Amino acid sequence: MPVPDLFAEGLARGWKTYNGSRLDQDLTLEADVAIVGTGAGGGTTAEILSAAGYKVLLIEEGPLKTSSDFKMQEAEAYPSLYQEGIGRMSKDGAITIMQGRAVGGTTLVNWTSSFRTPEPTLEHWAKEHNVKGHSPAEMAPWFEKMEQRLGVAPWIMPPNVNNDIIRLGCEKLGYHWKVIPRNVRGCWNLGYCGMGCPTNAKQSMLVTTIPATLEKGGELLYLARADKLLIDGDKVTGIQCQAMDERCVAPTGRTITVKAKHYVLSGGGINTPAILMRSDAPDPHKRAGKRTFIHLVNFSAAQFEQVVNPFYGAPQSIYSDHFQWDHGTTGRMSFKLEVPPLQPALTATLLGRFGEDNALRMEQLPHTNAMLALLRDGFHPESAEGTVELRGDGSPVLDYQMTDYTWDGVRRAFHTMAEIQFAAGAKSVLPLHADAGYVKTLGEAKSLIDGLSLEIYRTRLGSAHVMGGCAMGEDPSQAVTDSLGRHHQLGNLSIHDGSLFPTSIGANPQLSVYGLTAQLASQLAERLRTA
Amino acid sequence: MNDSVLDAPGLSRRGLLKVGLMGTAFLATAGLTASLTGCSASTPANGFAILRDSDLPFLKALIPVMLAGAVKPEQMPAAIDGTLQNLDYSLNRLSPEMLKLTVQLFDVLAMAVTRGPLTGIWGSWENASADDIRHFLDRWQNSSLSLLRMGHSSLLQLVMMGWYGRPEAWAHCGYPGPPKI
Repeated sequence: MPVPDLFAEGLARGWKTYNGSRLDQDLTLEADVAIVGTGAGGGTTAEILSAAGYKVLLIEEGPLKTSSDFKMQEAEAYPSLYQEGIGRMSKDGAITIMQGRAVGGTTLVNWTSSFRTPEPTLEHWAKEHNVKGHSPAEMAPWFEKMEQRLGVAPWIMPPNVNNDIIRLGCEKLGYHWKVIPRNVRGCWNLGYCGMGCPTNAKQSMLVTTIPATLEKGGELLYLARADKLLIDGDKVTGIQCQAMDERCVAPTGRTITVKAKHYVLSGGGINTPAILMRSDAPDPHKRAGKRTFIHLVNFSAAQFEQVVNPFYGAPQSIYSDHFQWDHGTTGRMSFKLEVPPLQPALTATLLGRFGEDNALRMEQLPHTNAMLALLRDGFHPESAEGTVELRGDGSPVLDYQMTDYTWDGVRRAFHTMAEIQFAAGAKSVLPLHADAGYVKTLGEAKSLIDGLSLEIYRTRLGSAHVMGGCAMGEDPSQAVTDSLGRHHQLGNLSIHDGSLFPTSIGANPQLSVYGLTAQLASQLAERLRTA
Repeated sequence: MNDSVLDAPGLSRRGLLKVGLMGTAFLATAGLTASLTGCSASTPANGFAILRDSDLPFLKALIPVMLAGAVKPEQMPAAIDGTLQNLDYSLNRLSPEMLKLTVQLFDVLAMAVTRGPLTGIWGSWENASADDIRHFLDRWQNSSLSLLRMGHSSLLQLVMMGWYGRPEAWAHCGYPGPPKI
């Protein structure tokens, strides 16, 4: 064990937790405030409310896994820590959706990139989505507070080669690039953030806000899926939870009923809308689940003469926003450029094909770089968008429909990534698409990309950021909550998570969730005090 | 050969897509739903939590074709076994709805009545050549039916993730494994 397991030590000191999978009887729990979800929004809210003196109960559907569990093995981490055992995908199966499912939520498995919500995004929300109180000036102190709380700072070590390729290429081309701020303290620069940080350097909710909550007498119920809100008129009277087995696959048959004065949903995109839908929560304008966005991702691989070893080193440390705002906020589909870490199992599915083709690509892994483009969906009326639906067993699925406007962004992103990779000295480039092979010159890349049939399945698409589905805003015909996260129809229900965003963010979203929910939770604490 | 068996009257492409349950849709087209109820076993095969005896023939035929070039022939039997283990482990942790979709995909491949028309492999999987399998994969990837294109994509992802999650796969791709800390 490389470092002390802080969470295990806290448990030994008496933190109160309940393991849903071990219950042999139904359970009823009470608290002042019940929070569904232990990710960015739930953790932030829990810490603030428990510091203000409220008895908080956190409810998490996933398992409790701590630093001593994190072995940096893909085969173990993906089925354990990710939604649906990393089986979560868009309804048509075209887009793999990576979201966390464990105590700490997606913050447990994200790649640490921390950006304030871009000013154009906040201004767009105020102007087009009737959002109040979240101007850049109003949000600044909250971002500052959470940056301090979580050790967010531009990464100080040299970027690994995989990331440096963005810097080199952009320098050559005169494109914007910058160092990524990361929420880490004492990071060992290993590169396994996506499998749970084994050194507790990543300042996820697991090692920050949740311990603080438990120290203050808050409690944690895990392996318990919040199934339905019990509703009486305009009030929530309880949450019915299903105890889950230790794999978090099947309900065990035991139920946990939670009673509180105030309820907060922090399950994140897809999950929070699903709870409202399963509960038949009042939704007169049918907004729940609508306008879900995902920062759709497409990828480009490249081979270099030098050793890249893209599986080691801080996964994301350099980005480019050169093409993010160059056509304004609502022009053509824009994107942010970053790189993914390339450990073998994930890489094998990204690089595509099978047999000899895939084998040759994988053989070059130590010399392979990949770039990704995060498409800023949700700002233009023709942007792709998603709708959450419930499947037969009540679990959610996201129906995300592509549009020509969005495919245009995909194609331009392919072009830009190839350009940067060649400028950085790549020997060959491979847009990740079924019909593409490695090409040796930019000219060939341009022809190849222009000729690609951009369609689902053939184009490798992914998502690691789920946003929206319970938009905030002052107009109840457009939004599920007001600008303070208060449900428009249910008096004692708040939503504090990324499902509040009226559009995608235009930057990796965790700090946006931290900042917003820190503000909302502080205001909630005040309202509860005077209630 | 096109997928004309699926042009049954009243079952449009849109209808198939709406159903969303691969196995049920194809069985309904073949008019065999009633007679085949309960045909596919749900008991796992020996040594597996999810994979059934009926899944093993096509997986054992498919995996060597997918891993060709990445695994030396003499190591292929062990690679097949290893991939099956990893695959079973992940299937055992999928959400129930995703597992259901995957099992239906496997059923379509395992049952003769659907296998022949949809993959072009009319005999047993044990007798299918590597070329037969490559043709079937190619056909699914380019099928006019999105369910088959989705199935193709699923098969690739499942097998590749299964193999490359194993340490034996790493020498080929120059990955030393996680650092010792």
